[in-house]
Amino acid sequence: MDFTDINFDQLFGSSGDTNPIMMLIWIIPIFIFVLYGQRIQLAVTSGEIKKGIKKLEDYKTKSRTELISYIKKNMNPTEDPTKKIDRFLDYFTIMPVDMDPNGIVGKVRHIVRAREDYTREHVKSLSPQTSELELTKIQTLLEIATTLQMIHKVINHMFLTAKKQNNYPLILPLQMILPFILEEAEAMHKAIPAFKMGQPIGDGIGPMVVGKMMLESKKESVAFQTVLGETQYDQRKLLLLKAEGPGSTVGRPGDAMETILSNNKPDIIIMVDAALKMEGEDSASIAQGFGAAIGGIGTERFQIEDIATKNNIPIFAIVIKQSVKEAITLMTKDIADKADDVRSQIYEMIQDNSKPGQTILLIGVGNTMGVPQ
Amino acid sequence: MFSKEKIIIEYTVEKCKKCNLERKRKYRQGDFLFTESSKCDSCDGITMIEKIFGESIEN
Repeated sequence: MDFTDINFDQLFGSSGDTNPIMMLIWIIPIFIFVLYGQRIQLAVTSGEIKKGIKKLEDYKTKSRTELISYIKKNMNPTEDPTKKIDRFLDYFTIMPVDMDPNGIVGKVRHIVRAREDYTREHVKSLSPQTSELELTKIQTLLEIATTLQMIHKVINHMFLTAKKQNNYPLILPLQMILPFILEEAEAMHKAIPAFKMGQPIGDGIGPMVVGKMMLESKKESVAFQTVLGETQYDQRKLLLLKAEGPGSTVGRPGDAMETILSNNKPDIIIMVDAALKMEGEDSASIAQGFGAAIGGIGTERFQIEDIATKNNIPIFAIVIKQSVKEAITLMTKDIADKADDVRSQIYEMIQDNSKPGQTILLIGVGNTMGVPQ
Repeated sequence: MFSKEKIIIEYTVEKCKKCNLERKRKYRQGDFLFTESSKCDSCDGITMIEKIFGESIEN
């Protein structure tokens, strides 16, 4: 066939007399898009968001089912825990008023700890003979299920509100934020097997490094779910602090520091933690810096910074970069392989920043699931 | 749409305290880091669990 002799003017009728049918074909869609453009966009975007919400609903349902079956299998409760678990899943936390920010950190800490204590006690009441290790695992699984339920509830609410009002601008922020939310929700859903099996997660690299250094030392409990060990390195006293493993906990390093400082004032503090990598950064890369390397809602960091400032103690940090998913799922080979490298960087940092006879407080920050000491 | 599903295989690495020989095997339930695991294959030492990690393969 020869396509070279097609006459486009003839085809679209734009030369000579205007073709009224072609004119309508061009003009009608313009009117449709002007009048109903937003609604069409709303319909198209809604389809994508619906798929996302369906995924969130799956994660929510599966995490609840897995939690209930895990409790039934491992706690052997006397009665069916489903009703109680469903009530736990709906718990909410009202953060304190921040109009007057003075003293707000203490208030936030109080509320968060009250919630943790309440959940722990009520989970334990399902079967009082359950071991501490199992309790910490179930508490974490409950946190995951609660968070997934909350995410689904909020996203679904935003979507339904936009649909109800036929409001396209209202759905735009949801469309923008949904991929990030889905990434986090997927990571949380994929974290469940590691917590059920009691395996170390990516966030546990800090406790893993410090835990190994603590193996031969005498250990004592210095705060709730937090242990301290003492050893010597190159004529310096090393105080080693981490959450008490192998349960799923981050401990209370802030409270532990207060206890430590009442007996022993360290000359420097080194914190080892997992940190979120930026896009383009290599996973499991190590970086050094200054300041308190600790995540969470900020109350522990505030406490550590406060103590360090009052006592004029410099804080150094070593972080191991990883994605959200890597941080809360089973530790990857790349991250596990970096443990020795991190340890040698710690020793180098100690030699560079302290003198013989001084005391160094080394904190392994993160969830110590599957990491004893 | 075309991304393949990744399967995570869990491994445990044991290291002999005496000869430092490392052995990688499939993870078994009850494996915990830093616990004594088994007898070394090459000497009469005891191995300790050094690492537990996951490696992904594409399905």
